[in-house]
This record gives sequence, structure tokens and C-alpha cells, in this order.
Amino acid sequence: MTADSNRKRLWRASPGLSLIQAWWLPIICILAWWFLSAGSKSFYFPSLETILAVLWRDLTEGPLLSYMWISLANMAAGLVISIVLGVAFGLLIGEFGQLRDALMPMLNFLRSVPPAAIVPLVIVALGTDAAPKIFIIALTCFWPILLNTIDGVRGMTPQLRDTASAFKIPYSLYFRRVLLMAALPQIMAGIRIAVAVALVLMVIGEFFGASEGLGFYINENKQRFAMTETWAGTVLIGFLGYLLSAIFVKIEAFALSWYFQSENAND
Amino acid sequence: MIRPKLQTVKTHENGDGVASKAPPMVVRDLSKSYGSIEVISGLNMHVDPGEIICIVGPSGVGKTTLLRSLSGLMPPTSGSVSVGGKVITQPLEEIGIVFQDYRGSLMPWMRTLENVAFPLQGRGIGKAEREQRAQECLDTVGLSDAGQKYPWELSGGMQQRVAIARALAYDAHILLMDEPFGSLDAQTRLGLEDLVLDLRSRLKISVIVVTHDIDEAVYLADRVVVLAGKPASVVDNVDVDLGMNRDQIKTKSDPRFVEYRNRVLSEIMRVRD
Repeated sequence: MTADSNRKRLWRASPGLSLIQAWWLPIICILAWWFLSAGSKSFYFPSLETILAVLWRDLTEGPLLSYMWISLANMAAGLVISIVLGVAFGLLIGEFGQLRDALMPMLNFLRSVPPAAIVPLVIVALGTDAAPKIFIIALTCFWPILLNTIDGVRGMTPQLRDTASAFKIPYSLYFRRVLLMAALPQIMAGIRIAVAVALVLMVIGEFFGASEGLGFYINENKQRFAMTETWAGTVLIGFLGYLLSAIFVKIEAFALSWYFQSENAND
Repeated sequence: MIRPKLQTVKTHENGDGVASKAPPMVVRDLSKSYGSIEVISGLNMHVDPGEIICIVGPSGVGKTTLLRSLSGLMPPTSGSVSVGGKVITQPLEEIGIVFQDYRGSLMPWMRTLENVAFPLQGRGIGKAEREQRAQECLDTVGLSDAGQKYPWELSGGMQQRVAIARALAYDAHILLMDEPFGSLDAQTRLGLEDLVLDLRSRLKISVIVVTHDIDEAVYLADRVVVLAGKPASVVDNVDVDLGMNRDQIKTKSDPRFVEYRNRVLSEIMRVRD
């Protein structure tokens, strides 16, 4: 047991210390913002206090809370679709080389189209309700999940494939309990990227032809020069983004506990 | 469904008079090429029921290629491998494989018991039955208490025991082992060699061990098959007449052991030069 690992242990052992370790910078930034902007008369940069007051007002009395749920529901729907399709196609394309050779050139072309560029097109084609917003999120999040799943499958140790065929594991079981699990660390990395991208696309998708949602709230207030409301929407989205990634880290740690522990065991 | 452990199927008698459930394995004129490179050429060998055969040869001679052909994982370029009179074209239920890299062949997301039971799930056997069977096989390899641990929580030797238990749970009568103890420390290795001898005499299975360790080969084998040449073929069959009960110290100091060892070694050296 070295002094260094003892020190690490001490850090881990004390929840108070690790909370400080995680939070000192955000807290300093928020405090700095609060005090530096206090009493601001600037039209474009209202004080944090006013922003938070407006945020609270619109959440409790205004439409913001229902907008938030609408946006999050679209995002969740888009993510679920992209995860299901991305993982399913990723496992198939990763496992079968011929499928990979047949599809990858086209997939590489399609994924290089910037997602924001197709937003107006999709809205014209699919209308202004939830469908185009979900479609845009699903389509954009599909790529990182697909490509990571393919990489995960291809990175599987060949002995596992041999083991599965030596013991005549049927395909249905092989895909679920061998391939999916072997690729899971990479799949989770893909989903992590997808969650961040989904948040961006959720907002952009609501900038055009929308009548509800967080993106609509921000865009509409900007257009009528209600800067404090615009700020409030932005702050709320920033907070949601942070919350989503924190939740994701928990899910990942749970789903991959065997992976993180085995990595440590092999050191 | 699972066959009961002591079911009397068609049994075979080998030279020592052991009744074995294992079907005989015969390899005829087996050749294997990768592209234009021929790795194995015209190889003939046989494994009698209940026999332990060790295949030895210098590194890179094509031992693993041979083992993959014997297991049905890889079709030969020409010639055939037959088990119980039938030519094999794919992995068989009668054959259980223990791979060299135990870390890579056990699934780190499954507990030990699940790892052992997993191949049975592929056969549609219910959870309770396959877990009971898996536990019995863990008992057999001396790992009764390890079922709820993950493979990476076990030592290398224990992981390889789990891999052996998995092959046994599959109801294999022929155990194929590819350099199974190569990456283990010496003491663990000796323990596992004795486990293999013990399994053979208790379960009457045939065992084929591919190894580059000549001492290990002579200690385990009823017959050592010496592989050499490029492309490889069988250059010698050494019958090891040291009886069924062997002991790491007594057997290895037996003058006949030394004699067998020297014969195998000189065959390998002769072909190399």
C-alpha cells in the first residue's frame, strides 16, 4: 500500500471532501456571477438575481414548466428510438463483415451531413408538431450510438466469439448476452455523446415552426427582446444538461459496475 | 435435456480397461492451408475413448490450428476429423473446449455460476436445472464456493478451473485444451495437471491437451503425439506407459519418465535441425 493510494483512499472515504472537490468551481462561478451582475442595469446582461426570479415566476405561474416537460418528452422519445435502432443495427453491422462492407460507405456519407442543416427540411416535410423534433433528435443521436456499437462489437476479444461457437450458443442468446454485453462499455460512451447532442437538437428543433417547448420559449422571448426571459430559458437548459449528465453517470456506473471493477482487478 | 451423470450409453474400452462414454476420435489425412501457406499436411491421429493425448510441438508449428480443426471451429482444407464414426463439420456437444486465454473466454459480466451454466441455456435447459448442473461441475473442479463471484475476482488458476467446469457442464466427453496452463505459475499448473488426471479417472472422459511443455505432456499423457515440420505432421507417437495413477514427484523421478521425455525432446530437436 503506497502513500499515494492511501491518500486516494482518504479522499474517497470522506464524502464531505469529495463534495467539495466536485463543487468548488461551479460554486465559485455562480457566486462570482451573482455578485458581479448584482444591480446590473445592462439590457443584455441582467443580474443573476432577476434571471432566477423570472425563471421561478415562469416555472410556477407561466408556461415554462409544461414547456420543459414537452421538450424533455421529445428528447426522451428521440433518444429511445436512436438507442434501440443504433444498438440493433450496430450489433448486426459490427458482427457481419459483409453487411459492414455493403453499408459503411453510405453510412459514412449520411452521417457527415450536419444535423442542423436538415432541421428546416424536416420541418417542411413533417410539419410543426412533435414528430419532426423527435425525428431530428433520433436521427442525430443514431450516429454516435451506431458507430460506437460497431466499434464495441469489433473490439470484443475473439476468444469470446470462439467460446460462443464452440458451445453452440444460438444467435438470439449470443446477441443479447455476449455481443451486447461485450459492446456495452462502448455503447454507453456513444449514448453519453448522444445525450449531449440530443439536448442541442432539442433546442434547435424548437427554434423553427414550434409553438411550445424550451427552444420556442427562448426564441420567442429573444424576438420580443425580453432578454431576462431569454436568459432564464438558457439557464434552465444549462441546468437540465448538467442534471441529465449526472443521471447518466449514475446509470452508467450501475450498468457497467462489472466493467469498472474488472478493469481495476486486472491492474 | 441433460443426461444423468452415470447413464450407461454405449461404452468403449480402452487399453487400461476403463469403460468410457467418450466416442473415439479419428483424424485422417488432415491438411490446413491459409491461402497458399500450408500449415498442416496429411496429419493422421486417433484418440481412443478415455485416453489422454498430449500434442506437443515447437511454437508456431500449428498446434492451435490443429486444435481448432479438431473442435469443429474451423473446417480443414482437406481430410477429415470424425467423432464416433461421423465426420464433424461444426462444434459438437460431445466436445468441450478449454481455451488458452481464460481471461478472454470467461464472460466478465457473468458470475462464475452463470458462466458455467450459460452453454446449457443455449440448449434450452431451465434455469434451476442448469444452475444445479453448474454447481455440481464447480464442485467437481474444487470451486464449490466460487459460484457467486465474478471471474475477475478469481486467480488465474481458479479461472481456468471455471473454464474446465464449463466444458464439463456442457456434458462433454472429449475435453480439448489449448495450452491450458501456459500462463499460470508453476505450482498452480501442477495442481491443474493433477485435476485433469483426476477428472479422467473419475468421469472417464477423453482429454486432448495441446502444449509446448514436454514434461507436462509426458506427465499427463497416455500417448504423446509429436508434431513437427513445416507444414506440420505427426513425426512420432510415444506411448507413455506410466499407469493411471501418477504423482508429481514419484512419476517425474521415474527413470521411464525421463526416458519418454528425452525421446519426445529428441524428436522435436531432430526435426527442427
